[in-house]
Amino acid sequence: MKFLTTNFVKCAVKSCSASQDSFPLKYSECQLAKEESEYNPDFVCHMLERLDWDAIVKVAADLGNTSIPPQKPEGLDPIMEDDQAILRDLHSLLVETVILEGKMTCSSCGHIYHIKNSIPNFLLPPHLV
Amino acid sequence: MLPTPDVKDVDYDLVYEPSEDTFLLLDTLEDEQKYIREKFAGKVPLAVEVGVGTGIVSTFMQKHILPSSILVGIDVNPNACATMIRTMQQNMNAGDEDAGISDTVQMSLLSGFRDKCVDLLVFNPPYVPAESVPDLPVSVSDSSWLEVALDGGEDGMAVTWELLHNLDDILSPASGVAYILFCARNKPDQIASTMRQKGWKVNTVGHRKAGWEVLSILRFTK
Ligand SMILES: C[S@@+](CC[C@H](N)C(=O)[O-])C[C@H]1O[C@@H](n2cnc3c(N)ncnc32)[C@H](O)[C@@H]1O
Repeated sequence: MKFLTTNFVKCAVKSCSASQDSFPLKYSECQLAKEESEYNPDFVCHMLERLDWDAIVKVAADLGNTSIPPQKPEGLDPIMEDDQAILRDLHSLLVETVILEGKMTCSSCGHIYHIKNSIPNFLLPPHLV
Repeated sequence: MLPTPDVKDVDYDLVYEPSEDTFLLLDTLEDEQKYIREKFAGKVPLAVEVGVGTGIVSTFMQKHILPSSILVGIDVNPNACATMIRTMQQNMNAGDEDAGISDTVQMSLLSGFRDKCVDLLVFNPPYVPAESVPDLPVSVSDSSWLEVALDGGEDGMAVTWELLHNLDDILSPASGVAYILFCARNKPDQIASTMRQKGWKVNTVGHRKAGWEVLSILRFTK
């Protein structure tokens, strides 16, 4: 599971769908790896526009990274050197960081989901469907 | 003709083998390439394929239809999720300039997805009319995963309706578009008119006779 994907998934339990606490999930006991991939600054820039930044900050902290700026960096320009550094860091965090194993817990209902072999499992036991 | 992705070393007792429906979906997406690209020009769209099977459709999308996208492949079958990642890796070349990002999650439909964020949705569902929608196998290596790939309950529509009923909450309001495959026994004309009554624009963008089946692909937009 790529770090980026944590920005799109929430608790699958129906009664949590209206709850603010069902996103992002809380990540724990995670085993991380780095998967190299082509760095494309324009792509990272445009990708940023659609991300929920608060969730990025929270999940990064869950995974032990507290160096994320609290506000979404705005108006980054891939040509500027300082911005390049930020974009590279974001590429490395969002695109190259994968969670191989771990747990995801819903802060609303407490349900625990598992990530195994890099695949997060959101299927629910029958009594929760 | 855009090249069809290579799919290798798949256990077709556990994962749906690309078939006529799959190929109609690929050909239709090829026809729709210009429409799709124009719709999402200058953005990084979120594309989701539900029911990835081998991942051949997701790979085709990421490689040829909408390269600079975030693509998430969903399946209830863990074998399919793992196969999708493999198919993707086997077909993408290191250094592909505008390669996007792809990932997979094991999930039923979009039950664990945030609302209203999917830009492009593609679904080749279990569409065969059957007594019921099968329960999910407990074991990973159970050949009844193939029944899950095929059997769609009443009119073959039980799973697809679950998604269609939620389409408003799934697609991004600004630009969302969904491509869904049907067979004649699903009564696609009735489905289209029901969805039109709910305010959707529905176009038939693919149609083919495949053996004794007649398949079509509907495009849903607001
Ligand atoms: C007809 S196959 C299509 C596979 C592949 N997309 C293709 O075109 O070759 C249907 C797929 O949907 C998956 N599926 C069935 N029910 C599902 C559900 N509720 N949520 C997600 N995927 C589902 C099956 O496991 C299967 O892989």
